[in-house]
Amino acid sequence: MNIKAAFFLAYKTIVRGSKGTLIMTILIMTLAYVNLIFISSIFGGIVEAINEQYIDNLYGNIVITPASDKIYIENKQTSSINHIPGIVAISAHYINDALISYDEYKDGNNIQQGKWKIKSVNVEDEKRVTAISDSIISGEYLDDKDRDKIVIGKEIAGGQGGDLDYLSLGGVLVGDTIDVKFSNNIKRTYTIKGIFSTKNNQADQMAFITRKEMESILGVHNLSSEIIIKTIEKGQEEQYIESIRQSGFYDEEIRTWEQLTGFTSSASKSFMMISIILGAIGTIVAGITIFIIIFVSIVNKRRQIGILKAIGMEESTIILSFIMQAVFYAIIGILLGISIILFVIRPFFVDNPLDFPVGWVSLKITFDIIKISNISLMIAALIGGFIPAFRGTRESILDAIWG
Amino acid sequence: MIIEVKKLKKTYGGKIPTHVLKGVSFEVEKGEFIALMGRSGSGKSTLLHQLGLLDSPSSGDIIIDGISTINFTQKQKNEFRLKKLGYVFQAYALLPELTALESIYLPLMLSGVPKSQYIKKALEMLEKVGLSERRNHLPKEMSGGEQQRVAIARALINEPAILFADEPTANLDSESSETVLKLFKKLNKEIGQTIIMVTHEPDDKKYVDRVIWLKDGTITSEGI
Repeated sequence: MNIKAAFFLAYKTIVRGSKGTLIMTILIMTLAYVNLIFISSIFGGIVEAINEQYIDNLYGNIVITPASDKIYIENKQTSSINHIPGIVAISAHYINDALISYDEYKDGNNIQQGKWKIKSVNVEDEKRVTAISDSIISGEYLDDKDRDKIVIGKEIAGGQGGDLDYLSLGGVLVGDTIDVKFSNNIKRTYTIKGIFSTKNNQADQMAFITRKEMESILGVHNLSSEIIIKTIEKGQEEQYIESIRQSGFYDEEIRTWEQLTGFTSSASKSFMMISIILGAIGTIVAGITIFIIIFVSIVNKRRQIGILKAIGMEESTIILSFIMQAVFYAIIGILLGISIILFVIRPFFVDNPLDFPVGWVSLKITFDIIKISNISLMIAALIGGFIPAFRGTRESILDAIWG
Repeated sequence: MIIEVKKLKKTYGGKIPTHVLKGVSFEVEKGEFIALMGRSGSGKSTLLHQLGLLDSPSSGDIIIDGISTINFTQKQKNEFRLKKLGYVFQAYALLPELTALESIYLPLMLSGVPKSQYIKKALEMLEKVGLSERRNHLPKEMSGGEQQRVAIARALINEPAILFADEPTANLDSESSETVLKLFKKLNKEIGQTIIMVTHEPDDKKYVDRVIWLKDGTITSEGI
């Protein structure tokens, strides 16, 4: 095999061949590459959006729950968690399953009611861990001094376009009063201070009151039903769990958001599976495209291949020349494609994220996606270049030259 | 003797086998300029293809420069073609993306000759075929006669023992044909190039040393 001659032929063919064909070929490769990255990234973005909703509105990154034989966590150790490097903030909740009722005309004839989870929060702590306070669509979030105020999700309020409107209070508004009967049968009346709407259906089925208010109802002090923890970055939660345990939570359950989101986990897997299938189809399409391009090129150069063989060029050199052309198309396609993705498509989606039911979805372009797409396209180019070149050069010299 | 052909047969398969060459034997001396002539279907082009190792005979042997080629592998044939044989085809057979100079030095590049040497030699060859001023021209920018002269220069660049030409003037006007045939004669006389040419033009006889006449796959006569 003569690499120099193969390169020489490939180079001259690219430089002196039809410019229109060259541009079209590179355009096809670029689009094939953009397609590979885009499909993977958009699914990655959807999964990311789902995960972010759970982290931002429900679990933080890590959740501590009581030991199996206990109802509450003792809060005496919580301050030590804050000192673990990488822990950004913590928020301790009481959780109570309560019956919430709304009697619009106060006549006892048309009472809307349902059972929902009420969580209590220390407002400043909560704001540093979750994003519920940023999701208020009507009214405002709690203040630590609030005792007779409640903030409720849109699925409880109703009339806000939620998925479970038929189970809601029928369209309560900020300023309306609702009755809450806690699990210990204590009843309180609260004025709705705010209604929030996240992109997470579970979060939107919760209500919040202040920690002091909940402690007065439950008759407890300095305990928690759960502690949610925000870490400096997602994906590294496991490394903090041992440190948290060492800080005094020996018997409590400590789990990451991933362990708690069973649905998300299966949804993520499904989306990743779709992404892989579409990526594989995209790669095959790219491979077939290269195959067709090289095949057409070989059909047009049939006679030239015969001539090259007649003057003594080895088949392997001719094949290498065509593979070099295919690899060139792939490399230029990758370079242009990555430029389009990074400098056009990604900025566009950052500025204009897609409004999916699961959250605001942007492209999640990772090094792995780029690496896999690059490898996929290169393999497609190698195979797509090799097969037609191999078949083309197998033809006898006389058949190639004279047909 | 540079070529010795022994009882060469070529049969193409199929439901009814076609015996194109029926036991052809002849010899070629070094420095001879030979024409293979005969009617269409006589087997002259098939014979040239066997001699040039572009095809494999059904039986017999072709001994070139003392080497029997009948059992050559494809790789050995490639190597032999590259180093010992040159071809000029009927239609100019140049690669459209290569200039005259590039077309000519390609065989030397394949032989692993250093760049400085193959460019120098290709320029000399262009001079020999009278196309120095066309060195940077692509085939589409040259006339048919010029393209054929470039093909001749490419065929000769590796200093082949034998130059094969398959109806090299078939697609040329009479003036270009004469130029090409005169060039062959000049190369034959000046550097003693052995040339075997297939032609159907009776007038071409005046340029060659010997004519081998074929009819129905056998040699009917030799001489002028």
